Amino acid sequence: MSTPENTDDREQPKSKKPADTAFKQQRLPAWQPILTANTALPVFLIIGLTFIPIGIVLVVTSNRVLEYDIDYTDTKCININNNNNQTCADYLKDNPVPTTPCTCKINFTLTSDFDGDVYFYYGLINYYQNHRRYVKSRDDNQLLGKSGSAATDCEPFQKINGTDIAPCGAIANSLFNDTLTLVYSGQTVPLQNTSIAWSTDKNVKFQNPSDPDPYFRNHAKPPNWNKTAWQLDPTHEDNNGFENEDFIVWMRTAAMPTFRKLYRKLLTTSEPFTKGLPSGTYELTIVYQYPVINFAGRKQFIISTTSWMGGKNPFLGWAYIVVGIVCVIVFAVFFILHRFWKMYVLAY
Amino acid sequence: DSVILQLLSSDDPNSGITSQHLESFAKDGLRTLCVASRVILSDEYNSWIEIYRQAATAINNRAELVAEAAEKIEKNLHLLGATGIEDKLQDQVPESISMLHKAGIKIWVLTGDKKETAVNIGYSCKLLSDQLLNLTLDEDSLEDTRRQLQDHCSSFGESLRKDNLASLVIEGKTLKFALAPPCRQDFLDLAISCKSVICCRVSPKQKAEVVELVKRSTDAITLAIGDGANDVGMIQTAHVGVGIMGREGVQAACASDYSIGQFRFLTKLLFVHGVWSYRRLCKVLLYSFYKNICLYVMELWFAVHNGFSGQILFERWTIATYNVLFTAAPPMALGLLDRCCSAETMMRFPALYKMSQNKSDFNIKIFWTWCLNAVYHSIILYFMSYAMLRHGNMAYTAGLESDAWTLLTHISIWGSIASWFLFLIIYSNFWPTIPLAPEMRGMAKYVFSSMYFWFGLILIPFTALMADVIYNCLQRTLYKTLMQEVQEKELANQDPYDLVMARQTSTVSRVAERLALLKSVFVRTRTPKMSGIVAGPYHGFAFSQEEDGVVPQNQLIRNYDTNIVKPPGL
Repeated sequence: MSTPENTDDREQPKSKKPADTAFKQQRLPAWQPILTANTALPVFLIIGLTFIPIGIVLVVTSNRVLEYDIDYTDTKCININNNNNQTCADYLKDNPVPTTPCTCKINFTLTSDFDGDVYFYYGLINYYQNHRRYVKSRDDNQLLGKSGSAATDCEPFQKINGTDIAPCGAIANSLFNDTLTLVYSGQTVPLQNTSIAWSTDKNVKFQNPSDPDPYFRNHAKPPNWNKTAWQLDPTHEDNNGFENEDFIVWMRTAAMPTFRKLYRKLLTTSEPFTKGLPSGTYELTIVYQYPVINFAGRKQFIISTTSWMGGKNPFLGWAYIVVGIVCVIVFAVFFILHRFWKMYVLAY
Repeated sequence: DSVILQLLSSDDPNSGITSQHLESFAKDGLRTLCVASRVILSDEYNSWIEIYRQAATAINNRAELVAEAAEKIEKNLHLLGATGIEDKLQDQVPESISMLHKAGIKIWVLTGDKKETAVNIGYSCKLLSDQLLNLTLDEDSLEDTRRQLQDHCSSFGESLRKDNLASLVIEGKTLKFALAPPCRQDFLDLAISCKSVICCRVSPKQKAEVVELVKRSTDAITLAIGDGANDVGMIQTAHVGVGIMGREGVQAACASDYSIGQFRFLTKLLFVHGVWSYRRLCKVLLYSFYKNICLYVMELWFAVHNGFSGQILFERWTIATYNVLFTAAPPMALGLLDRCCSAETMMRFPALYKMSQNKSDFNIKIFWTWCLNAVYHSIILYFMSYAMLRHGNMAYTAGLESDAWTLLTHISIWGSIASWFLFLIIYSNFWPTIPLAPEMRGMAKYVFSSMYFWFGLILIPFTALMADVIYNCLQRTLYKTLMQEVQEKELANQDPYDLVMARQTSTVSRVAERLALLKSVFVRTRTPKMSGIVAGPYHGFAFSQEEDGVVPQNQLIRNYDTNIVKPPGL
């Protein structure tokens, strides 16, 4: 609705016509994708024929990734320190804070060589690191090395007897503390415990305070830890305290209740591991300290190689193949439909 | 003039001849007025002014007392003369009206003019024609009106309240009775059975009443268009009010929802902007529901996997900006620029307008279909990402989460047939790599370097869209709508004329036309009670062909086989 304005009598009243541009007059050039059988048919065929080979490539790549995992939650891991054939799980149930930790050894055989980069993971099942209150329970400022009291989000792992906990929060408190080592024909497999966390985490998000020694002495350790953060890796100062990579990896919460976290990488500096893990018999030594059976969780040790795609996951490859086949079927159906419908229409 | 003629003194010599002249003016389509006067002596005036003042300041019934006082003095007038004003129809009004008819819009004319003027205008606008069965309502009392209404209604029989080739002319005095409660329903039934209705001598209040009646009793959408202050009532009562800014001032325009410069612009308003606006609105609405349902149902699936603890899948800020930044562009583009057919096509084929009249784009069924589609897409998006990342590698999960909604925009842009531009494609690929929150730090680097991510990006939207694309293709091949056929012809730069014409004149309407003509030959309709007037047959010349007749001229010529030997003597 427009009302005529009072214009100057001397001038011509300005025209209120909108400008005659393509945009204002709705004449913009348009592209209309019309999905008729004619246009869709070639598209489906092409996509179908592209997806199937892609899928095959992905499946083959995924199958070339070698993986070996051991579930050591209960039956496989028998305490070697005592002679009563008790599993470490039961031992931990009886002695929640044992003086001597439970150790067990598991023998396994790799049937083929694991060539290239070899990664070692620990996997947890039925462990909800994505629970809202758990995810909230951390103090990123503290982890940046800034001074100040621990955040209230860390409750109930914020203070002990009035002293702040460092690092505070439920995530830090539940740090995975099993130790897993491998021995191959008498030789310890050299494992690297650095370069396992995200570089941005290590270099930016997690920084030790400027004077870590007095800092960690003045702060309490999390209740479930048996050493302070400054004792995580005393021999390497850049892997100690908040910058310990195992700690950093743990602090990056997993999205799903079944997850694996990178534990170690194979060091390829010495024989016979220069090309990867040779096939043969290995012995896995576990210092079992992390209780999971009280919430029906399970623990795994996983050895895996990688491909240019990443870890072993055939789902994507199969998904591509399935979608490709569906496309080809749809193409065939449409083609027949198109021909017959045309004939039907023409006949009448 | 009817009012003035009654107030004249009984021995006025000119009233008879003036009435005749007025009738002939009206037959010519002029708008007539009478002018009369009287000299009032001061005694009479003084005694009257007292009565008038009392009436004007009365507390109760002021309007009636004032009217009574006015009646006392307005009598025995002396006729001065009559005027006839040619109020020309605007440009292209007949064409516009026939286009509106073709679009299936029923047209009623509510005017204050005399019946002859109105009927004349009706014939020039093609509202009335000889192909239509012309009905009249001109009785003087409630009983007679009722009887006449019932007669007309029963003559329709089965086809009451359906589309018929009939027209109705009703006088203002009869309208008063027809709108009264006993006759109202019959009047409405009769009126909506006719293709066009002309009401003459209607007061502004009655105009609004008629619109109100139609609005209330049918589920049609009413549009009122007028240009004077006397149309303001009906413009405001109707669903859509259109005012013509013109010589009669801007009051109608001020009271209206839309104002246009000339009557003929109404067609463009309805057929082009109306249809586009309807379709755009529907699409924007459906899209908005779709994108929000899709996103938040994904959170629901995630809750299944996080112990229903309330942990959200998508990072806080990105969820907040989801609606604002990432998915704002498609609704804007849809809402502003979507076009199903070009403006020229929409104007040439009013029949396309019917598509927007029958709730084809937004009704319960379509709404729930979109909602279910949104849930289906959310399932695909979430569970395919989940399956890909079963080992719970956090980087990839986060990456695919943050990527899921741009997939969403992609999906929805592709899933709808709209007109869009290259910059939108680029825009929807805009990445949220602003590290607002700690957990997002470094996400971009790890996500982009993951091949899973890129392959997933290609596969997942395609899978989600596949069902939609297949459905669309099937629908276009098997159940093509007129609009889509026209679109295709347009794109192929072919003329959609034949298509539309073939669909438009269905056999049913052709048969109905013939029946109506037959009926008007055999049935004698009551002639109107107008003495001295010869209602001229508006047939035109004998050798000319009627436009849009039952048998078009070219077909007639083609049917005539010139190979047959003419009988001798012709």
